[in-house]
Amino acid sequence: MLQGLSDLGQAYLSFMNPLTLLYGLGGAFVGIVMGILPGLSATLAIALLTTLTIKLGTNDAILVLICSYVGALYGGSRTAILLNIPGTAANAASCADGYALALQGQAGRAIGIATSGAFVSTLLGVVCLALFTPLLAEVALQFGAFEFFWLALFGVTMSGSIVGGDPLKGWLMGLLGLFIAQVGQESLYAYNRFTFGWDELSGGIALIPALVGAFGLAEVLTTLADPVERKIVELRDSVLPRWREIIQYKWTVLRSGVIGVLTGLLPGVGEDAGAWMSYAAAKAASKEPEKFGKGSIDGLMAAETGDMSSIPGHIIPSLALGIPGSAPSAVLMAAMIIHGVQPGPMLMIQHPHFIYEVVAMTTLASITILLFGLFGVRPLLHVLKVRRAILMPIVFLLCTIGAFATASRLFDVYAMLAIGIGAYVLRRRGYEMAPLVLGLVLGPLLDKSLRRGLVLSDGSIAPFFSRPIAMAFAAVTIFTILLYVPAFKAAVQRAKAAAFGGLRSLAGRRA
Amino acid sequence: MTAPAPLPEQSVAAGPGEHHAPPRADLHDAIGWCVFGAAVVAGSLTMDRLEQQNINPVTVPGLLPGLLGGAMVLLGLVLGVRSWRRGALAQPLPPPDADAREQRRRVAIAVALCLGYGVVLIGHGLPFWLASSIYVTGSILVFQRLSRDPAERAAGPRAWARALAIGVISSVVTWLVFEHLFLVRMP
Repeated sequence: MLQGLSDLGQAYLSFMNPLTLLYGLGGAFVGIVMGILPGLSATLAIALLTTLTIKLGTNDAILVLICSYVGALYGGSRTAILLNIPGTAANAASCADGYALALQGQAGRAIGIATSGAFVSTLLGVVCLALFTPLLAEVALQFGAFEFFWLALFGVTMSGSIVGGDPLKGWLMGLLGLFIAQVGQESLYAYNRFTFGWDELSGGIALIPALVGAFGLAEVLTTLADPVERKIVELRDSVLPRWREIIQYKWTVLRSGVIGVLTGLLPGVGEDAGAWMSYAAAKAASKEPEKFGKGSIDGLMAAETGDMSSIPGHIIPSLALGIPGSAPSAVLMAAMIIHGVQPGPMLMIQHPHFIYEVVAMTTLASITILLFGLFGVRPLLHVLKVRRAILMPIVFLLCTIGAFATASRLFDVYAMLAIGIGAYVLRRRGYEMAPLVLGLVLGPLLDKSLRRGLVLSDGSIAPFFSRPIAMAFAAVTIFTILLYVPAFKAAVQRAKAAAFGGLRSLAGRRA
Repeated sequence: MTAPAPLPEQSVAAGPGEHHAPPRADLHDAIGWCVFGAAVVAGSLTMDRLEQQNINPVTVPGLLPGLLGGAMVLLGLVLGVRSWRRGALAQPLPPPDADAREQRRRVAIAVALCLGYGVVLIGHGLPFWLASSIYVTGSILVFQRLSRDPAERAAGPRAWARALAIGVISSVVTWLVFEHLFLVRMP
């Protein structure tokens, strides 16, 4: 315990130098700008910055990426409030009340609430990050091939179920991501799979070009396709953070913070789930639920705190298990691997201080967004006034560099173009990209775990279902899939109703 | 000021899970997934099993891809059955309206510009900053010409000069920052 506190103190001290702080501010700035621009996501911000920071030291690079992650989600709330379009998917829940407040002439107040809520909830999440990551990492040391197989499958299944509105399409995208990850040389025998004799494909489809295509080019095409140029609501009132509302809605902040972290812990769920669940919980607990969607401060606070606190929540399984909680944390994890830090159960042994350094980085990220909230709201909003005919070609230029720079291969640019155009077509048809990303990241782990597990069990699949932790993950994964079968879902709902009815009658008798 | 209507993909403020493609489109997708999944299964079955290396038969390279392909076929079939039950055979795809046609045209132009830049202009001897300047300037001019705003559409010499300035400045600054400050090699 004392050793942990000492490591944490040292981590904080190590970031107290001007250059590091400047890196943090730079990362947050890029993140906020990306977040403000509708559609350009935290995933794209981290993917592009991974390329940019490749020559920096590990800690500086990861600091920039975490600051951009926090900044993108924070920046996205402005677009939700001023344009009624979520800057990132995670800000969707903020649209209803944020935009309603803006139409009532309280856009500045809404932005101030978003700033204070984001700051406090990220700090809440940071406390959970510091407390739970070492604990989870210790548990994860008992995981073997069988557990990791189910964990990877669990992440993709959950992501497919929760992200977007159609689990079937989500799972298909997860399968596609897992398949794309199998292209190229496999890890056990260095055999070329699905390369069709094409040497460039032996190295596989690299993650960063794929993500830049799926989140960058696809968004450029989506934005340019729309014939209508959108205009923002004017800001008339003060945009300073509102601490009074934090105290007034302290239970909402606390509840949403906890919900955000808990949803973050689930692999593959995404930040928007934290926001929506917090929003629903706040509405259920509110004395004025009818105001939700019409400019409720409570609703806006819940949505903003829920998504921001899920960021540290998503980083916990990424660090402790090597299983990312969301698409942006998947890219963050990939960036850690590029910088020589392998997240997963061995992290506490190989890099014992790294978890505490990440805690310090996330704290710094929350401070940077507060600084931008205090001093940079109005100037940064000018980016929304730049016409998309000017902005989008420049964004595509950056996407091209982002795809090329990691390995200096033109093939990666072609892969980015192909995946980007494919992703655009799939998005138009209702397919979400987050399960694809999870599939891409978890594909190698799934393949390795399945085949290693089968070697250990001499071809038997029984240990995949009989070891306690594997059994639990298998049960949840299969249950999630079966919920899609109408007969099974109806049976579950009947059982739930009967159980709740029994409890209610029992409580009634006691009263 | 009137509230702008959200984009189809971005109308998420109402809550997650509201997107439904027409059943006929889902049926087309289902056929696509089944064909793709079957191709993956076929590719996995015909993949080398490395018997000459005496590897454990349960660790053949095609094991997981084959399972994934099979799962794609299965889910594709479920998607097909669902679209059929939702009336995919009875309801043809609605003909595209004027907005949809305009969107398609704009996307086709954007794809052509991006492919022209990514495949033709860069990596074939033209300096990166010049290739990027041509792409950015061209894209700005083309999309200004496609704008619904008459003032933006009327591209006079000033608009040309402004597009050229933005194209050259953004490309040169990007090139300088990445190649000289961040030491990233450019295509």
